[in-house]
Amino acid sequence: MKLTENVLEIQDLVKEFPSVRAVNNVSFDIKRNTVHCLVGENGAGKSTLIKILTGAYMRTSGTVLLNGEEHNPHSPRDAKQRGISTLFQELNVVDQLTVEENLTLGMEDTRFGFFRKTDKINKMVNVMKSLEPSISPRQLVSTLSVAKKQIVEIAKAVATESDIIIMDEPTASISESEIARLFKIVKSLRAKNVTVIYISHRLDEVFELGDYVTVMRDGKHIGTKPVAEIKDRSELIRMMIGKTVFEEYTPKEVGSQEAILQVKDLCNHKLNGISFEIHKGEIVGFYGLVGAGKTELARALYGVDEYRGEITFKGKKLPATPDKVIAAGIALVPEERRTQGLFTVLTIRGNVPVMNMEKISRYGFINSTQERKVTLEYIDRLRIATNSTEKEAAKLSGGNQQKVVFSKCLFADADLLMLDEPTRGIDVGAKSEIYGIIRRLSEEGKSIMIFSSELPEVVNICDTIYLLFDGSMKAMMKNGPDIDSEKIIHIVTGGE
Amino acid sequence: MKTAGEGLIQSPLDRSSAFRSNIKKFYIYVVLVVIVIIFSVVKLGQVEMFGRGHFLSPDSIIILLRAAVPILTLSGAFTLLMISGHIDLSVGSAMSLNAVVFALMILNGFAFLPALIITLIMGMAMGFLNGFLVVKMRITPVIGTLVTLNLFKGIAMLIVPDGLSAIKSSAEKQMPAWINDYARLDVFLGLPWAFYVALAVIAVLIIVQRKTILGKYAAAIGGNRTAAELSGINVVKMSWILYVIVGFFAAAAGMARASYMSLGDPLSGDGMELDNIIVVLLGGTAFSGGEGSVPKTIVGALIIMCVTTGLMTVIPAFWQTVAKGSVLLFAVVLNHILVREKVKC
Amino acid sequence: MNVETNQVSKPLLGSKMSNESFITLIMVGVLFVLFGIACAVVPNFYLPRNMLNLLTNNWYLIIVGIGVSFLLITGNFDLSVGGNIAMTGVFAVYFCQAANVSQNVLANGLGLPYGVAVLLALLCAMGIGAINAFFVAKLKVPSIIVTLGTMMLARGIAQIVTQGAQRNTSLPDVFGVVGSMSLKGTPIKVSVVIMVGLVIAAYIFERMTVPGRRTYLIGANAEAARLSGINVVRHLTFLYLTSALLAGITGILLASEFKAGVSNRALGYEFDALVISLLGGVSIAGGFGSVLGMFAGAVILSVITSSATGLLLSPDWQFTLKGVATLIAILTQRFALDKRKG
Repeated sequence: MKLTENVLEIQDLVKEFPSVRAVNNVSFDIKRNTVHCLVGENGAGKSTLIKILTGAYMRTSGTVLLNGEEHNPHSPRDAKQRGISTLFQELNVVDQLTVEENLTLGMEDTRFGFFRKTDKINKMVNVMKSLEPSISPRQLVSTLSVAKKQIVEIAKAVATESDIIIMDEPTASISESEIARLFKIVKSLRAKNVTVIYISHRLDEVFELGDYVTVMRDGKHIGTKPVAEIKDRSELIRMMIGKTVFEEYTPKEVGSQEAILQVKDLCNHKLNGISFEIHKGEIVGFYGLVGAGKTELARALYGVDEYRGEITFKGKKLPATPDKVIAAGIALVPEERRTQGLFTVLTIRGNVPVMNMEKISRYGFINSTQERKVTLEYIDRLRIATNSTEKEAAKLSGGNQQKVVFSKCLFADADLLMLDEPTRGIDVGAKSEIYGIIRRLSEEGKSIMIFSSELPEVVNICDTIYLLFDGSMKAMMKNGPDIDSEKIIHIVTGGE
Repeated sequence: MKTAGEGLIQSPLDRSSAFRSNIKKFYIYVVLVVIVIIFSVVKLGQVEMFGRGHFLSPDSIIILLRAAVPILTLSGAFTLLMISGHIDLSVGSAMSLNAVVFALMILNGFAFLPALIITLIMGMAMGFLNGFLVVKMRITPVIGTLVTLNLFKGIAMLIVPDGLSAIKSSAEKQMPAWINDYARLDVFLGLPWAFYVALAVIAVLIIVQRKTILGKYAAAIGGNRTAAELSGINVVKMSWILYVIVGFFAAAAGMARASYMSLGDPLSGDGMELDNIIVVLLGGTAFSGGEGSVPKTIVGALIIMCVTTGLMTVIPAFWQTVAKGSVLLFAVVLNHILVREKVKC
Repeated sequence: MNVETNQVSKPLLGSKMSNESFITLIMVGVLFVLFGIACAVVPNFYLPRNMLNLLTNNWYLIIVGIGVSFLLITGNFDLSVGGNIAMTGVFAVYFCQAANVSQNVLANGLGLPYGVAVLLALLCAMGIGAINAFFVAKLKVPSIIVTLGTMMLARGIAQIVTQGAQRNTSLPDVFGVVGSMSLKGTPIKVSVVIMVGLVIAAYIFERMTVPGRRTYLIGANAEAARLSGINVVRHLTFLYLTSALLAGITGILLASEFKAGVSNRALGYEFDALVISLLGGVSIAGGFGSVLGMFAGAVILSVITSSATGLLLSPDWQFTLKGVATLIAILTQRFALDKRKG
C-alpha cells in the first residue's frame, strides 16, 4: 500500500441504470487525512457514488484508485476490508452486545474459539476512549444514545485502520451538543491517519468541518475546492443548483377556495409545531433535504405515526389510522413504491382497486368484469405501458410502477392526495407525464400535497411551497415567476 | 430528539431503566424461589417439612433432578440457537430417535461407550440436516424443523418392531440391567452420572456463551445480522454449527432418557420442544434473537420441573396439559413485558 | 436519487401464469405422478371405492386446513386446531349429556338441549380463536408460540372435562345423527358433503370476495396493505376466529360420528393440516397458495398413506412418509420458484 498524496482518485466514473445515468463521468481526488465534504441536492448522484465506493453497486465504467491501487470491491464487506468504512443512518452495531464486544466484532483474538486477552482489545478500547471517554467499554450498546453509537462505529473504523470513513448525513438525528462533540472527533481523525468523506446537506457544517468540498449536480461533478477558497454559502448554493432553468410555472388563483385541511401545531418525535393550510384544488409542495421531516409529516397525517396537534379535514377532526384516513378522503402515495406502495407479486389488476374495493364489489363479492374495466381505465388514463392487466407489478419499469400506485390512490376517490417523492427514480418522460396528471387532478378540484427533495419538481408544479428543515417549518412561499431558488436552498440547508 | 446532552449524571430515565434491567436479571430466581416455597408449603398439613412425601424431601428432590436431566442437558444449547434467531422444533423427535437407536444398540450387545459415541454422532448428523434445510436452503426454521420432526419420529417408529411399543426387553433378548446405571445409579449424593454430566454440560455452555466466539457471534447474528455480516462473520457457518450442537445435545438427552426408562420409546421425547420453548421464554430469551442467557434458561428449566412434579402431587394427571399451556402463555406475557424494545431518548 | 435497477427477468415457463398458479399446477402434477406410481405399484389401488376414499378420507383435515391455509398465506400459524377439535367435541358431549343421571362423574353433563349445546361448544371454540387473535394480532407475539400454548390449553381443557379419558354416555340420540348420516342412497357421509361445501365456499371466498383478497394482500406485503387502508389487526382476528370455528365444526362432527368426546382426539391434526397446506403449495413466504392446492395436498397425503397401507407397510411408516413428502414438496417449490426468477 502506497502512501500516496491522494488517498482516493476517481477517474471518469460512470454508473448507468436503464433509465438514467446516475453518475456521469465524475472525476476528482481526495487528499489523504482531510475532511472532504460531498454536497449536492437529492438526485445529484452522491449516494450512487458512495455505493460504488462501498461495493454496493458495480460501476459501469471508469476507475477508482485507493492508495494508488485499483479499488473495485464486490461487496460492502469487501470494501470494508480494503479500508473504506461507512457510517450509515441505520446504525450497524449490535445493541445486545457491549461496546467492547462491538469494537472487536469479527476481529477477536481467539484460541480454539476462546477469547484471548491480548493487547488488541486494549488498543481498540483506547481508541474509543480517546474519542469519547464517557463511554464505558462494558456498557451495553442498547443503553447508548444514537450519537454515542455513532462514536462506537467511528472508533471501530479507526481501530481497524480504515483509510477512509464515509459519513452519510451523520447529524440528522443527534442533538446540538452531540454534533459539537462529533465535529471534534471528526477533526481529530485527520491526526489518526484517517480521511473522512462527509456527506451533508447542512452547508454550515461544510464550512465548519471541511478541508475540501466537492459539489455534484445531476450526476456530474461540478467542482472540487478547498473550503477556504469559497467565499460564502451562496457560492456553494449556486454550484449546487447551477443555471437550471425551471419549467414555466403557470400561476393559479387558489387563495379564494376554502381550506380543506388545517394543521395546527403538529408535534411528534421528529416534528416541531408544524402549522399550515391546504385549499381546495391547491398543489402544495413541502420541500426540504434529507432529515427535514417530510416523510414524518406525511406519515403523521396519514395516521401511521403518533402525533400531538390539531388536524381538521373537511371540517372534521382527522382520524388517526390509515384505514379511517382513507375513508375520510385522503390517499398517500408512499415514498418507497416497491416496499410500501405496491404489491409487487401481484398483477396490475391486483393492485389498482385495493384502496376502494367496495366500488368494484357488491355485498362483498368482487365483480371481476368491473375490476378489469377499472384497471383498463386507469391503464389508459395514466398511459401505463403494458399490453395486459395481468402483468406482474414487479416487472414494470419504475415510472409505470409509480403510475400503478397513482391509480391505486386515484381509485380511492380521495379529495386530498399526498405524494411522497412522487418521481423518485423515474425517467424524464414519465416524470412529465406524472406532472401532467397532477396538474389535471388539481384542475378537477383535488388538493395535492407533494413531499419532495427535488427542487425543480417543487418549483415546477406547486402553487405554494413550504420549506422544512430539521422537523420545523421554516418558511412559506407562493410560487411565481420571481421565485428565489437560492433563497430556498439557503433556508433548507439551515440558513435563516 | 433534542436532549440536554449527556454527562455522567444519571437522568431519571437512566435510573428507571437501571431498575428495569435489575428486575430483568433477577426475576427468574425470585420466581423459582416462590414456586419452591409454594410447593413446600402446600402439603404441610399432611406431611412434615423435608419429611417423606414432602416436596423438599431428599427423595423428592432426587427424583425431580433425575427427571430433569434431559431438559437440563438440552436447553442450554437450545438457548444458544434461539439467541441466534433460529428455532428447532424437531428436538423432541430427535431425542426419541436417539433414545431408540441407543436402546437398540445396548439391547444388541454394544458396550456403553461405543453406543454413546454412535448416538452422539447420529445426533450431530440430524442437526446437520436441520442446518442444511434452514440455513442453506433458506427454508423458514419453523417449517423446516417441523418437517424433520416428522421425519425423525417416523424413523424412530420404524425402527421399533411391529407389535412393540418400544425397544425393550423381550422374550428373546434381555435389556442389560446396567443400561439404567447412567441415569439412575447413585453416584454421589443420590444423583446419577447423567445428572453430573448435565451439570458439566451446563457449565460448558455457560462458558461457551460468555467466553467463546460462538456465544458472541450467536448474539451478533440474532441481534443485527447485517452488522454481523459486515464485520466478517460467516453467518451461514455459525448458524449451521449451532444446529449441529443442538442435535448433539438432543442425542445426549435422548440417551439419558433411554437409560432412565431402560427402553427406547419413539414417543419419549414428545413435547420436549414445547418444554424447551417454555423454559427459554421464561429465561427471557427474545424470540427474535440477540438476547438470552443460559443460566436463566436453566433456572427456567428448574421452574418447569418443579411445576410439573409439584403439580403431579397436587392435581390429577389430566390437569397437566392445561397447566403447561397456561405456563407457556404466562411465559409469553412475561417475555413480552420484559423484552420489549425500550424507546430511548 | 434512488434509482433502482430494472431487471426484466425472463420467466422460463409461460409468462402469463402467476407464480401461484404455477406452483399449484406443479403440485397437481405431482399428485398425478404419485397416483400413477401408486396404481402401478400397489395392488388393488385402482378401484372406484378407493378413489372415492382418497378424496374424502381426510375430510376433517381439509376442513381445518382451510383456516390453517388462509393464516399461512398471511404468514401466520395456527397450531391450536387439534386441541380445539378435541375440546369442542368434549364440550358438545358434556353440554348434551343428561344431568344427574349416574354416580359416575363422567356420565353426567349439563343436560342442555342439543342445539344449545352445539352452539355453546362452537362459541367456546371461537374463544380459543379470540385468544390467538389477541396475542398474535394485537400483541404481535409470534404465532408459533401462541398457538402452541392455546393448543395445550384447549387440549388440556378437554382432558380435564374427560378426566383424561372420554365421555360417551347419556347422550341424546340426535347427537350421533350428523356424524354418521349419509346422503340418501350413497355411501357419502354428510361430513364429507359439509367438507365439500366448505371448500367451495372457501374457494369462492379466496377468489371472489373482498376479505379473501385482503388475505392475499396482507400476505404479499403487510406494510403496503396497511398503507392501503386494510385493518390488519381486524382481518387477522377474523381469520383466527374462522379457523377456530372450522376446528369447532370438525370437533362436533367427529364427536357425533363416534358418539363420544375423547380427550386425545385429533392428536397431531394441526401438523397434518400444515402438511397438506405445504404439499398443496401454500407458502408462508409470499402470500400465495390456494385452498384447492391444500385439497390437492390432502389427496396427495391420502395417496401416500393408503399406498403405504396397500403395500402392507405398518402404520409407523406414516410419519416418515409425511416428512419425506413435505420435504420434497418444499424443496421442489423452492427450486421451481428460484428457477422461474431466472
